[in-house]
Order: sequence, then structure tokens, then C-alpha cells
Amino acid sequence: MNLSFIAYCFINIIFAALVSPFFMGIVKKVKALAQGRMGPPLMQQYYNLLKLFRKEALYSTDSSWVTRVAPYVNITVIATAALCVPLVFIPEAAYGISNVIVFLYLLATARFFMALSGLDAGSAFGGMGSSREMSISSVIEPVTIVVFAALAFIFNTLNLHEMFRESAGQVHLFDPSLVLISIPLFIVLIVETARIPVDNPETHLELTMIHEAMMIEYSGRDLALMDLSHAMKQTLLMAVLINIIFPWGIATEMGVAGIISAAAGFLLKGAALSAFIGLFESSLAKMRFFLVPNLIMIAFFLSALAILLEVFR
Amino acid sequence: MENMLKEMASVLKQEIAASDITEGCSGEAYLDISEDGFKAAISDIFGRYLVLTGLFCAQDFEGHKGFTLFYVFEKKGTKSMLVLKRKLGAKTAHSIAETFPSACWYEREINDGFGVVFKGGFDNRNLFLHENYPEKFHPLLKSFGSARTDGEKKITPLQEYWFKGFYGEGVYQIPVGPVHAGIIEPGHFRFSVIGETVFNLEVRMFYKHRGVEKLAEGKAPEDCVCITESISGDESVANAVAFCTAIEKIAKTKVPERALYLRTIFLEVERIYSHLGGLAGMVVDVAFAMGASPFFILREEILRQNEVLTGSRFMKGIIGLGGLKKDVAPQSLTGLSAFLGEFTGRFNDAMDTIRSSASTIDRFEKTGFVKRDLVPHLNLTGPMARATGASVDTRLDHPYGLYEKIRPSQKILYGGDVLSRFEVKAFEVLDCASIIRRLIDEMPQGAVSSKCGITDGYSLSMVESPRGQNMHWVYIKKGVIDRYKVRTPSFCNWRAIEHAALGNIVPDFPLINKSMNLSYAGTDL
Repeated sequence: MNLSFIAYCFINIIFAALVSPFFMGIVKKVKALAQGRMGPPLMQQYYNLLKLFRKEALYSTDSSWVTRVAPYVNITVIATAALCVPLVFIPEAAYGISNVIVFLYLLATARFFMALSGLDAGSAFGGMGSSREMSISSVIEPVTIVVFAALAFIFNTLNLHEMFRESAGQVHLFDPSLVLISIPLFIVLIVETARIPVDNPETHLELTMIHEAMMIEYSGRDLALMDLSHAMKQTLLMAVLINIIFPWGIATEMGVAGIISAAAGFLLKGAALSAFIGLFESSLAKMRFFLVPNLIMIAFFLSALAILLEVFR
Repeated sequence: MENMLKEMASVLKQEIAASDITEGCSGEAYLDISEDGFKAAISDIFGRYLVLTGLFCAQDFEGHKGFTLFYVFEKKGTKSMLVLKRKLGAKTAHSIAETFPSACWYEREINDGFGVVFKGGFDNRNLFLHENYPEKFHPLLKSFGSARTDGEKKITPLQEYWFKGFYGEGVYQIPVGPVHAGIIEPGHFRFSVIGETVFNLEVRMFYKHRGVEKLAEGKAPEDCVCITESISGDESVANAVAFCTAIEKIAKTKVPERALYLRTIFLEVERIYSHLGGLAGMVVDVAFAMGASPFFILREEILRQNEVLTGSRFMKGIIGLGGLKKDVAPQSLTGLSAFLGEFTGRFNDAMDTIRSSASTIDRFEKTGFVKRDLVPHLNLTGPMARATGASVDTRLDHPYGLYEKIRPSQKILYGGDVLSRFEVKAFEVLDCASIIRRLIDEMPQGAVSSKCGITDGYSLSMVESPRGQNMHWVYIKKGVIDRYKVRTPSFCNWRAIEHAALGNIVPDFPLINKSMNLSYAGTDL
């Protein structure tokens, strides 16, 4: 294990954890502005997390060890997944963590524990949320695999780090296959982070929620961990989109200046993408629950098309 | 009235002599009916497509020791109102719920309030008194004082409220409420679902009983106006006007023209802001917050106009017996007129955003369908009934105040779904705005109040509140209120939600609920 990889581990995880609440804040702010409201300050997400971390966690008397363990499993799994997706610089060697399949199944593990914890306390809403999450994931998971398969075809590798490296080295800016794949990647981002039109992150209307329903029993630092891992998951998926479609600025070797400028660049690009997510969310109503597969199918067809394009290139 | 009497006499054949028919203060026919003739009369009335719009009980009414039941019937599309007065000899009565399903809640309500037992009904559970109230606790009895009662009853699981059970493979129940995740009023919804599809829904309300009817008893009518204003938050003017109209009819007081104009303006402003809240709520519930915010902004601006007009954002404390408690400043009226002029354009813009949002319309369409057949059986009322193809509007059917002169236009849609309710409300907002501007232009000068004496008697008064027909019945004995009965539109319309939700999926329920925009407080007095 070389120095570059160890530095990468620290920098990537810490950077992901630090910027994630900021991107969440931007989405909230943009949505509020679209509605003609002031919205919370951009730093509000950090204050919320700090507040929650200082509070004690309460557990339902009906809950088992699953509820207690799930937040830590979630944050660990997402932090590990953060190693798959370089945010600011790409290490020389990745020791297997850069594999796409590893990344996807780490996300699936987090989702599995989330759904289990929703069921654990036996409350009506938690179970409803878990059942909906699993129904949706039975459709989104195969599609996500196809989307990443398309990426693998485009770059001829299963290694995310190499994809990023190749993308960063691209001279021509708009590879048609990449433009095509950006739409499915965006849809995966929306669905995986429980946003409109699939789920509503704002609502506490108990009968419609999915993601919020699974977390309904959590409080205090456990809730903070859940929120943080959710925000980090969003950042990671955003990073996949950013570093493949708009890779300019990412550092391909270790160096303080390169990393700082790459971090600033990522922050800017992430902020722009968050603002776009906010606008996208504002412009749509939530879909009828059983129409959600239609949206996911768009992602499927576009990535299948990208695969075809690459096969017959 | 003559025709009415003749018709009723033929309805009830020989059993009723014409001398038994008396005319009430608002032209309704009161018919004394004996226990023997009652059953035949009910089936005759049912055969003539009369709708049961109210059923209530009074104790020691006009010298009759014991209970008198009042059955209020309406022939839709005519001004005819028929009230059957049924003097009970005992504490039992025969139920009419099998014939008129809407009687079910009323009978359960009377059972709780007075301890009158209805035999032969399909549902005899408690209504507003939940199971932890003490035994033989009937707060509307005259013998029931206002003293503190002996605590809560401990209940065993067997004594718990019994919900209709649905069992079978894949059927499970979702209990929702009375404490909700959002800031809304308490109500319990018991869903029986198969997957996401609602198989059965049962609502249980009455978690916020305040004893409004009992509170009014023994009070001078002018002290009761503030009580009626508190029945339901955004129907304060409608309730206050209905109550004052009832008292004024008994006393035969003529309300000055200017007061009638201003009352009508307040009623219509209330309809606008209540509908705006409803429209915004529907859009919020499909998570299209950007589309909803213009409605919220407009609603807030109207509430500010209300404050300028009356000193209260919800227009409380302005309606009084015999007219208004105070006049409004002329510049605030011109201000309102100017605001409404600009309001129409902004409202239309907001509506265009919604109508052009395919994802929103997709959610609204075919969701929460209410069958037209339900309207007479459950006595559905208000915008919800008008979105189901029924032409019911108290302002047109039983004109009161200024509505004899100023006829609001009516939009009837036949969809019966959330979209129809949305469009009906949107139409009414614009119609109200034009009515208000016209009234401000024609506003007469003069006093806003005339002396309203208090005479003994009883009177029925109906007002179209934003949610539909509001019915008040007041009985004054010895200068104080002896019995006050309020039936709000929500009390009727809550029953429709159990039908509207069937076959829909659970995530669509909040939208269906919001499209009906029912008041919990208004249901539970």
C-alpha cells in the first residue's frame, strides 16, 4: 500500500463528508428560492447535524440490534464506497476498491440495512417505507447495473478510477455516448437519493414517504449518521456524473496545489449540479407510485442504446 | 308555502291533519308526527327523493317533558324544507339509518349526547364520546351540569373501539393518527390494504370535542357569537352569519342593507381564502411546491386585507346580532377592490402553471373518485358535491341575505375526481372575486346595525360556507339559548372520504384528503 493511496483514503472520505451537507443545503436553497421563500442558510445542514450529534438516541422498546447497528453500518459502508469514487484526485493504485461492481453492491448493502431498520421497530410507516423502497429497488438495481455496464463498454474497463482518468484525459469534450449516458446517470442519482418525482425529501406526510418512512424511528446521533450517509451517497453519485461528463480539473497525481484546485473545481461543479437538481425537483410533481418504473425505464433504454452504440462502433 | 303544505299533506296521506303543520321562521314546514305514523312517513319521504340534511334532539322542547327529535329534510332543487318533529315517549326510538344512511352519525351523536337509544340501526358504536368516558355520561342532558366529571374510565382491550376487520391473504391494516407527522388536526384513519391498494377505509374523528352546543346553553345570544366563530377556523364568518341570521329571524329583525352587503363580502372573502388554502394544499400534496407557493402568497395577502378590513385576519369579532359590530373604513373597501382587480390576473397565472404541469394533472386526474349516487344518500355538500355533478349550493337553493339579489354562478363538473374538485374551487375563487368587486361598487351607505331584540322561539338557518351547507338551529327559551345545534358541511362530507379512497393507492390518500379539505374541528363540536 503506497503513500498516495493512504492519503487518498483520508482526503476522499473527509472531503466527501465535509461537502455533502453543503450540496444538500444548495438543493434546499434553490428549491426555496423557486417557491419565493428565503430558504435556510447554506450552512444550516451543518448546524442540524451538529445539533443531532449532540443529542441522545432513543430506541423503540420493540426494536432489536438491527436498529442500533444500522446507522453505523450505513455510514461505514458509504464511507467505504467513497473510496470507489475519487472526488479530487485519482490515486496510482486502488487495490480493487475501484471496481464498479464493488461500488454498486456497497450501495445495495446500505440500502438493505436501511430497509431492515425500517421494518425492525414494527411501526406501520417504517414497514410501508421499506416495502416501497424494496419494490423500487427491484426495478432500479438492474437498471443501475445496465447503466454502469454501458459506462464499462464506453471506457472498456470496470475500474471507476480508470474511467475517471481516461475521461480527464479526453481531448474532445462531447463524446455522444457520454452525453447519452449522462441522462441515465442523472436518473439513477434522483432515484437513489429519494428525490422528486420518486420520493419527496421535504415531506413528512406519513402515507407517501419512502426514504423518510424508513428513518422515522431514528433520533439524535443515529439520525445524524443516517442523514450524513444519505448526503454522502448523493455526493458520490454526483461525483460519478461530474467526473465522467465534466472531468476537467480533477488531479491525476498527488500534489497540494493540484488537490486544492481540484477541490475548488469539484465544489463549484457540485454546487452547479445541486442547483440543477433543485430546479429539476421544483419543476415536477411527484409521480404516481406505480408510474415510477416508467422513469427508470428511460434510464434503461438510454443506457442500452449507449451499449449498442459502443458495440457497433 | 301553500303548495308545500299541500304536497306534504299528500305525502303523509291521512295520517297528518293540516293543522299539525306549522311554518318555521325561514319558511320550513314543521310537522308534528306520532310514533305510529312515523315509519310510514319516512318511507313516503324516501320515495319522494327527499334528502336528510339534519337530525338532532332537544330536551324539554315547548313543554314536552322528554326528548323531541327533529328530522330535517330538503327537496334538492326546490326551496322546500320539511322538519319532522317526533316527540319521544321513552328513551328509545326507531332508527332510520337503513333508509337514510346519513342518519347513522346523527343517531350515534344523539345517543352519546342524550342517551337516546336507536333500535334497528346498522351501527350503534359511540361517536363523539370515546370509550374512556365514564358510563352513563351524556353531556347534552339538562341534568348534566358543568361540574368536573370523575376521571377517565380504564378500558380493557375488549372495550376498545371496534373497527371493521378485514382479514385474508395479503390484507393488512395501517392505523394512521390521531397524532400525525405534520401539523394537522387529529383524526384516525384505519386502512385495510392489499399491497398499496386501499380495500377499506374507516375514519374515526371526534378527538377534539369542546362541547360547543353545551357551552351555548343558558347564554344570552349575543354572548354566543364568539363561540360560533370558533367552531371552525376558516369558517368563522359563515358560522357567525348563520347563527345571527337564526336569532334575527326569530326576533324578525331587519338587517340594514349595508350590513348585508358587508356580510356577503366577508362570506365571499372567506370562501376565497379557504379555497386558496385548499388549492395550495392539493398542489403541495403532489410535491409541486413551486406551483403551490403563488396560492399561499395570495392567501396570505387576503388575510392581510382581512386584517385591514376587520382588524382580524380571520374576520372574527365583526359579525354581530342585527348586523355588524362595527363599520369598515371606506378606504379599506376600495383597497380590497383594487387588490382583487390585480388578484384575478395573478390567480390565473398560478392556475396556468398547474394546468400546464403534466405531472400534476396526471396525479389529479381519476384520483379519489366520488360517485354521484352518494350525494343524496350521504347528503354531500359544497364544492365536493358540485364536482360530482350535483347542483347543490345553499346560496342558490335557499337564498339568504343578499343572495336573493346577487346570484353566484355555478360550475358543475361531472368528473368526481380530485381534478374536478380543483377546477370547481378555482372557478369559485374567481366568481367570488367578481361578486365582491360588484358589491363594493354598489355598496349602500347607512347604518350597519339595527337593534335586535331577543324573543323566544326557534329557527333554522343555513349558510353556504366554503365547504358547503352549514346548518344552525337555535331554540331560545326565556331569553337565553336552550338548545343550539350546528351541523357543519364537514360532518356530512367526512363520510365521502371512506368511499373516495377505495381502490386508490395509499400514497394518493393525502391528496384525496386535501382535495376535500374537511375540517376536523367543525365535525367535532
